[in-house]
Amino acid sequence: MITGSDGQSRPAGSPKKPLISIKNVGLSYGNFQALTDVSVDFYQGELVGLVGDNGAGKTTLIRIISGIIPPTSGEVYFDGERIIKFHPKKAIDLGLECIQQAIGLCDNLSVGRNYFLGREPVRRILGLPFLDKKKIREASAKVVHDFGLRDSVDVDDEIALLSGGEKQTFKIARAVTFRNRVIIMDEPTNHLSVRERTRVNELAVQLKQQGLLVIYITHDIFQIHRIADRIVILENGRKVTDVPRDAMSAEALEGIIRDGSRTSTKEPKVS
Amino acid sequence: MRKLLKRPDLGIIIGCLFIFALFTLYDPAQWFNWGTVSNIGEYTAILGLLAIGQSFVVLIREIDLSVGSVYGIVGIAFVGLENNNVSDVLAFVLAMLLALLVGLVNAALVIRGKLSSMIVTLGGLFFYRGLIYIITHGAVTGVPQAVRQNWFAQLLGGHSLRIQNGFLLLLILGFLCAVTLHETRFGNHLLALGGDPASAESRGVPLGKVRTIAFALCSLFAGLSAIVTLTNDPETSVSLGTGMELEAIAAVVVGGTLLTGGRGTMLGTILGSFFLTAVRSEIIALGAPPSWYVSFVGIALLTLVTINTLLLKRLRISG
Repeated sequence: MITGSDGQSRPAGSPKKPLISIKNVGLSYGNFQALTDVSVDFYQGELVGLVGDNGAGKTTLIRIISGIIPPTSGEVYFDGERIIKFHPKKAIDLGLECIQQAIGLCDNLSVGRNYFLGREPVRRILGLPFLDKKKIREASAKVVHDFGLRDSVDVDDEIALLSGGEKQTFKIARAVTFRNRVIIMDEPTNHLSVRERTRVNELAVQLKQQGLLVIYITHDIFQIHRIADRIVILENGRKVTDVPRDAMSAEALEGIIRDGSRTSTKEPKVS
Repeated sequence: MRKLLKRPDLGIIIGCLFIFALFTLYDPAQWFNWGTVSNIGEYTAILGLLAIGQSFVVLIREIDLSVGSVYGIVGIAFVGLENNNVSDVLAFVLAMLLALLVGLVNAALVIRGKLSSMIVTLGGLFFYRGLIYIITHGAVTGVPQAVRQNWFAQLLGGHSLRIQNGFLLLLILGFLCAVTLHETRFGNHLLALGGDPASAESRGVPLGKVRTIAFALCSLFAGLSAIVTLTNDPETSVSLGTGMELEAIAAVVVGGTLLTGGRGTMLGTILGSFFLTAVRSEIIALGAPPSWYVSFVGIALLTLVTINTLLLKRLRISG
């Protein structure tokens, strides 16, 4: 384990340059300080658990990284380049995808159409662009197969027929196959069965092994401690802990979260 | 078979087959009379064009209550221009530009003003109707006799092989719209927006653009419908199109399109228009007072929507 000059730890063997670098970022909504002076680096091929209680600032931090809101102070770098304009489209173009529980799939569309939503392939007939349904069907069927969804899933069926876990797996599969570099998972295992949860966690590890940066947001410290390389804990908008997984036990980390919330005053929920 | 059962327009397909069989058995002489068929064709075209436009808006979870008044003001602009010696093609283009403008204003108020489309278009319903009264002072002349005979008016209002051109236009445009809805990127984006706006946005679907096109198409179809009406039946009045917005919405809903968006077909909308029109014609033919039609629309609406809902539920359960 190497400790950088900034006092942050990172896994040995990873390239020195962080893929995403957050420097002294703060964000306030009116009088409310959602994030205060947060600095954290994320490296390629790393699975980072971003943990904290409700209102700790996890989601706010992710919203900044995904370009939804700009920070009020501080700097954000992606692959060494400072981000000046914050826009979701820009984040998508940079290869960053955020997987959220409730968002990302249109229940009224087929599996195939959801797979390509926003980047539908077209073929030209008499010069006019029409959906390339054959490609949609074949490419999405391959993904359904490769990611071990039920064989009975027909890509022409509405996606509403999939279970919660299957939908989550499908979103991850979609994020991976479109050659993303960063996958952010926002509470990916909420409302999932035990088996489905295991499956999603396995996928998170596989993505990391393929060289992607995975930022995994959760408030379940025991679950994330089993799979993460590094754990970052936010508390009341501040980074309180940033340690490699092996440096602390899950119990000790839980203690930090517990004690943090005991001493803190009640803040309005922003996460 | 499973595919057929999943169609959102299954209810109206059955409904149309039902009334066709019923009228054939009950009143064949009247039902197969060319005059009846022709009348039904003409009004199906008018209502159908309005309803196709409305379908685009309903499919994205919005509603356009202004189409009746837009139908009126575009029609009256068309007639007014022709009576002022503007050539018919130019009058058509200008009237359609007016329709486009109304659609863009509706879209801008909904998107930029973040207002509910029901409020925006309810305002439009009153505003454009009032405008008609202000501009015309309550007196409107019809399409001039000379204009009715030339090729352009005949193109929209005439007949081909004894079939109304307006009806053929409905079939052609209905087909094109169906292809657009189900076979193009725009159609996919429109359905996605109707199904789940947040998810569509997260995938980079340009929501504002899709909404704008939907509202523009809705007003354009309302304008086109008015012009088809007037080239066919040149007498008009300031009340042109009053109440048509509700009939168009009824046709869309009866045709199986969900008011909650994301599910529906153009075939359903056209059949819905045919259904309401055919039954109106038959009610009158059977000697019932025409006002019964209004109550009938209510009954048909409730019956067909109930059938559609039941079909949808069964489909969800059976997977």
